[in-house]
Amino acid sequence: MEIKFIIIITVALFFIALVQLMKVYDLAAKVRGEKSQEKVSRSENMLMANLMLIFMIAFFGFVIWLIAKYGSNSGLYTAATEHGQEIDQLLMFNWWIILPVFFITNTLLFGFSWKYYYREERTALYYPHNNKLEAVWTIVPAIALAFIVIYGLMTWNKIMYNQEKGEVVEVYAYQFGWIVRYSGVDNTLGKADYKMVSATNPLGVITQKTITETYNEIDQRVNDIDSTLSNNINAEGKYLLPDSKVDKLQEELDRNKRRKYRIEASIDRKNGNSTVYESSDDDIIVQEIHLVKNQPYTFKFRSKDVIHCPWFPHFRAQINAVPGMETSFALTPTITTEEMRADPDVIKHWENINVIHNERKRRIGEEEERVLFDYVLMCNKICGAGHSNMQLKVIVETQEEFNNWIENNGDNKRLTFSGQEVNWSKTKEQASL
Amino acid sequence: MAHDTHHHKESFITKYIFSQDHKMIAKQYLLTAIFMGAIGITLSALFRMKLGWPDEKFPLLEAILGSDAAPDGLLDSNWYLGLVTLHGTIMVFFVLTGGLSGTFSNLLIPLQVGARDMASGLLNMVAYWLFFLSSLLMAASLFIETGPAMAGWTVYPPLSVLAEFQPGSGLGMTLWLLSMTVFIASSLIGGINYIVTILNLRTKGMTMTRLPLTIWAFFITAILGVLSFPVLLSAAVLLLMDRSFGTSFYMSDIVTSSGALDATGGSPILYEHLFWFLGHPEVYIILLPALGMTSEIISTCARKPIFGYRAMIGSMLAIGFLSFIVWGHHMFLTGMNPFLGGVFTFTTLLIAIPSAVKAFNYITTIWKGNVVMTPAMLFCIGSVSTFISGGVTGIILADSALDISQHDTYFVVGHFHIVMGMTAILGMFAGIYHWFPKMYGKAMNKRMGMVHFWITIICGYGVFLPMHFLGEGGLPRRYYENTNFPMFDHFLDLNILISIFASVGVIAQVIFFFNFFYSIFRGPRSSQNPWNSNSLEWTTPVEHVHGNWIGEIPIVHRWPYDYSKPGKEKDFVPQNVPLDDNEEEH
Repeated sequence: MEIKFIIIITVALFFIALVQLMKVYDLAAKVRGEKSQEKVSRSENMLMANLMLIFMIAFFGFVIWLIAKYGSNSGLYTAATEHGQEIDQLLMFNWWIILPVFFITNTLLFGFSWKYYYREERTALYYPHNNKLEAVWTIVPAIALAFIVIYGLMTWNKIMYNQEKGEVVEVYAYQFGWIVRYSGVDNTLGKADYKMVSATNPLGVITQKTITETYNEIDQRVNDIDSTLSNNINAEGKYLLPDSKVDKLQEELDRNKRRKYRIEASIDRKNGNSTVYESSDDDIIVQEIHLVKNQPYTFKFRSKDVIHCPWFPHFRAQINAVPGMETSFALTPTITTEEMRADPDVIKHWENINVIHNERKRRIGEEEERVLFDYVLMCNKICGAGHSNMQLKVIVETQEEFNNWIENNGDNKRLTFSGQEVNWSKTKEQASL
Repeated sequence: MAHDTHHHKESFITKYIFSQDHKMIAKQYLLTAIFMGAIGITLSALFRMKLGWPDEKFPLLEAILGSDAAPDGLLDSNWYLGLVTLHGTIMVFFVLTGGLSGTFSNLLIPLQVGARDMASGLLNMVAYWLFFLSSLLMAASLFIETGPAMAGWTVYPPLSVLAEFQPGSGLGMTLWLLSMTVFIASSLIGGINYIVTILNLRTKGMTMTRLPLTIWAFFITAILGVLSFPVLLSAAVLLLMDRSFGTSFYMSDIVTSSGALDATGGSPILYEHLFWFLGHPEVYIILLPALGMTSEIISTCARKPIFGYRAMIGSMLAIGFLSFIVWGHHMFLTGMNPFLGGVFTFTTLLIAIPSAVKAFNYITTIWKGNVVMTPAMLFCIGSVSTFISGGVTGIILADSALDISQHDTYFVVGHFHIVMGMTAILGMFAGIYHWFPKMYGKAMNKRMGMVHFWITIICGYGVFLPMHFLGEGGLPRRYYENTNFPMFDHFLDLNILISIFASVGVIAQVIFFFNFFYSIFRGPRSSQNPWNSNSLEWTTPVEHVHGNWIGEIPIVHRWPYDYSKPGKEKDFVPQNVPLDDNEEEH
């Protein structure tokens, strides 16, 4: 309350002060013999014109300072994928066209404003049109844009029509995190359906086992709700619970029954015919993304709830994850995490980051830590309260390191949906034979 | 016309509140826009505090927003998104669409084409009051417990459908949709009125190629609005049905904490198409009026005809047409067919050509002019500068391949705030300073106007230029805090700089508010044609009369840009002055 009061008082006093200042100003203007607020005096015109020039210099200085300090791709370094390199080249090409245009046109604008400010003895040039000039600044930008469009579309087509050849990895987005599934030896993801998603089957993968589990889970929930409802009914057949609660429960009850029916009708192939689910047998769910250097990957994206946007800044890769539809993005990482960490620019940059990072940690009373460069996956489409913390570590490494990780990183990461243990590297070798 | 024969006495209510006079309605729009603008920019200053100083506690925030939104002075993450959403919605729709078009189309169309009033005064009044109602609804959503809409100003489903996904998608979103529905109705009614007035009520001699460029801009803007707003309306209605009546236009395959939803077969991408079919023309609905006014003011203040009058009209028509076939560039990464992405890249980059023509024409108009540095002119120069600076970075975003690494980063935020936000806001300020004498019959203080301009442009560029570099560094927009990723730590300083510029810029607007309201009541009386301008509005008396002109409406003999015409005594020749013998029109 006190603060509000102080704010109101301050604002009020501020306005009173302004009104008083204005009165003084008006009086002073009268004393000086200035009659009008509408005529700009010679000295004012000159002052404004000079300020135009000064502003332009400061403005350009600011832009140049920003470029020098933060440059292009500040903190992202060289692109760590094949297509990323091409995007960066295209970006550079664009900057080399854009920056001269930016500086030249702004110079003309502020320069002319400075040079041609109003003086009574001068007369403006009556120059209503010139078709040649108009043609020049229609055709010249058109030619420049033609280059930009052609180069841009060549790059775009190269990236987007190259989706189907890599090793398939699925990234499943939810509020607020990611689940990753490797497609295993057969390079095919097991079928999944959103109706199958549950606590034990977060991706909704379809197998005979998960179908049975889902049925059990639904039956359990239906029973729970039924008993909650029937236990809270009085002798007259009225519910003791609030109406809204009853409505909610009944809605959920109906929804679960429908869900079971829909699974039965559209997903369950009935027992015996479980071969259709086999492609999920070697699928593996993991907590980090590990990628092998120079190995092409095709990422498949699904979303559980709202639109997310998986964004790998260092790979220059992103595409939306949309509920109800699968999207994909292909990329080939070219630099391992270790190689990146050994880069002199990266070392220097991360020394600086460690200083800033730990300064902040000290300030807010948290324990200091040493942070290292890592590739990262983050969300780039507004998705709710946790949007700014949907992160997943991405590691690019050699084939041996990858094999080592996938085999030795704890059983849960090797257990597949059929419950069997899979020896990743051995089966891989067999598959290639 | 019988207007000048009967002067009926008007009551306070019919004169100031339910007025059907376009000049009064223009002022009502302006005041509402200023009120909404004050809310909009204040919100931005508040969430910038969180971004600049992520760990600081600001008792001020709790005092202003309440303890739900900022417990202990630390902004809540849901509310952060709420502030961002309402900032965007208010600035885009209420200030720069309703406010900008509403104020200046209403004020200038009848005055500059030489009409007694709008084609339908009644509809005009209805349009304003719908706008007012929608403003109230939108502002009201800030005062509910669960907060305003929080899904970003684009309110993409499914995030905006279920309150389970974020609290703002409950009542806050309902209010958002109601408000927008009313707003769209207001825009459509207003737009039809503008089009009809321009086509039918021009005075004698006012051919289409003698219209001031302001009118051309308002005309094209109104057409864009009438063609695109209904699509947003349908998008909003379908969203409303998904939210309230269990349909699934935009919903499919969704799992919530209570299990899989029934919704199947819909697609959120459909919403994006509908939204951006309005959303992109909307950019030009915002920009064109500002550019139109800028053309008029630059010509007047440079004492020189606008260069390439017909090319200016042509480029506005081209921009207007192209704006309908570029919406997909907001959706390159939705998984759309790559071929379609290519098409949208091509059409989008085409817009750069008419835009370049406009920019060069402005510059050529100033070249060898005799530039009077009124506050309005200063804002126009600033507006052209931002149009250029923001326009060039659009070339990068229009390129689908580059969009892969720039989409939804701060690069986008920097880009559209400069090219659309600042250009339009500076243009709107220019319009206010220039036509204030016409609205209130008073003069605004010029020195304060000059100070206001310099602080605004410095802070504007100070805020939005650095954002491009944040985006190049990969920083996504709409992040409540950037501290979860150590890789963004080196941007801490830059974010503080941006926040300081933002706060100073917002506080500096007090100078404007003060100048504006002070001058309404205590400003010196203005002269009839303070800027020695040619267009018809300056032939009307300073004190407003019903019907605009006492006596006959002037007849137009020439275009409005005869400034510094050789062989003339003065450096301006108003439109109603007949051509001399042997004088060429232009």
